[in-house]
Amino acid sequence: MRIDAYITEYARKTPQNTALEEGKNSISYSCLDNDINAIASSLMDFNRCRFVILAESGIQYIKVLMAVYRSANIAIPLPIEFPKFSLEKILDAAHINNIITTDKQYSRFGEDFFERFGTVIVISSDNPKKILRKSIETEVNNSELRLVLYTSGTTGTPKGVMLNDKNLVTNAESIIKVLRITSRDSGALVISPHHAFGNSIINSHLVAGGSVKIGNMNFIDPTFNLVGSGVSIFYGVPSTYRILLRYPDRFKRAFANVRTAASAGGGMDRAIVEEITGLAPDVEILPMYGQTEATARLAYLPAEDVDEFVDTIGKAIPGVILDVVDSEYRPVKPNITGELVAKGDNIMLGYLDDELATEKRIVNGWLHTGDLAQKLPNGYIRLLGRKDDLIKIGDHRVNPREIERSIEENNEVSKVFVVPVHHELMGTAISLMVIPAEGTKIEKLFAFCRKSLPGYLCPREILFIDHLPLSENGKISNRSIIEEYQHVKASM
Amino acid sequence: MEQIKNDIVEYLKANSFMDNNSSLNDNDSLTQNGIIDSIGLLELMDYICEKYSIEIPEDMLTPENFDSLQGITNMITTLAK
Repeated sequence: MRIDAYITEYARKTPQNTALEEGKNSISYSCLDNDINAIASSLMDFNRCRFVILAESGIQYIKVLMAVYRSANIAIPLPIEFPKFSLEKILDAAHINNIITTDKQYSRFGEDFFERFGTVIVISSDNPKKILRKSIETEVNNSELRLVLYTSGTTGTPKGVMLNDKNLVTNAESIIKVLRITSRDSGALVISPHHAFGNSIINSHLVAGGSVKIGNMNFIDPTFNLVGSGVSIFYGVPSTYRILLRYPDRFKRAFANVRTAASAGGGMDRAIVEEITGLAPDVEILPMYGQTEATARLAYLPAEDVDEFVDTIGKAIPGVILDVVDSEYRPVKPNITGELVAKGDNIMLGYLDDELATEKRIVNGWLHTGDLAQKLPNGYIRLLGRKDDLIKIGDHRVNPREIERSIEENNEVSKVFVVPVHHELMGTAISLMVIPAEGTKIEKLFAFCRKSLPGYLCPREILFIDHLPLSENGKISNRSIIEEYQHVKASM
Repeated sequence: MEQIKNDIVEYLKANSFMDNNSSLNDNDSLTQNGIIDSIGLLELMDYICEKYSIEIPEDMLTPENFDSLQGITNMITTLAK
């Protein structure tokens, strides 16, 4: 079954029930179903074609997404928080002829940006759809492909994760079981819907026949009002909770009637858990773990074990098998470090137009997560960092070597090293250590980073060094870079 | 008033996605134009509190007060009185 078919089913069974809410607007299942049909009707003459969706979070975005599903085409939502040049990189790599956008994004990105597309459809609240132009091209696509989600983070070309209907429905059903979501539940969507986590909130609540309240994290007052307006399940990445916990009084009031505070996109630390429990003792805290490559979710930590096992990712969600394997793909014993692998109907079809990368990640049907892990004697799994030296910055997976290369290639510097440093809200941010060349200017480096990298990658500080941060055996790694940084800071 | 506005523009140019030569109208949305994100807003708030020695009550953290140059300037003027 397709995700949008659940909406049709609830439009028949419980037509008046609220499906989506955004500010003062709300929409019932029956109206939502009609609106989806209205948009889908202009997409029906496309046959399994790729459609970029460029839209801010909101009811409109969900309507468009479901309309692309309903017309049996392929949805490719763009993460609008990425800088324009990153989006252009995605578009150049993905050969997409069709775009659906909102009037807001149309005026923000400007007419020129849309010239590359043969089909341009603009959606606005007062005028449901305006077809600027339409050209139907024949495309060759994976016959099961329904949705492409971009992994967040790096400066290189983001990878498009290909998902099918089964991926989406299976993962939504697993999440419904873990969180016990029913048609009476209302979930808060305050994070980006264009990535795996946000997308899974929409899917699981709509498949359960419940509702989603849509907001954002930009302004704290409306966010707390949204939480307090009848949300039963709140979802956030760790930094979402860190931001909200800066306002303990508001947090206490807003979360008084929330049933579950769920998290994903990064490990919850003990401090966050203790603060939430202190302010809202009745809220059940449910940390979850996943990857875009697994549609969204792979593991969860049962609420009753949060106190004792908060430093683990818990166990597999229903329908998923997790294991830890050595370099020959043999399962290892408890307390031995290996790579976390996963199997289940939620594992992606592969990366869009990149078979080589797909073969590296999916071996004999197992998704290789790239996360180093150990099994505990009770079966729970503890993560021990990334196999490939990736770091988590503000809950985005980032390859420091790619950032370094991009800064080196575009600036007058000799070498650049990215250092993960503590950040109050994001958990981790980056600083740079730079071996200067003639003409290296700190202001120019800052300016380049601000304009060319996503905001969370803007360096906190830039330090000049005069030699390579080598380890004792002469290698450069995150560890040797961090050690050098500590050394430099200590001597300042 | 103009001085406050200039300070904020300088801050945004130095700390956000705003271009040095791009012009920002007083009522343009900072979030919808991609100039600033949620973490950036909190940092801007800390900067304002420190620079103008004011405390911003939580119920003032709304789009009306924080999403445009004009809104921010008005808010600072009100609170600094």
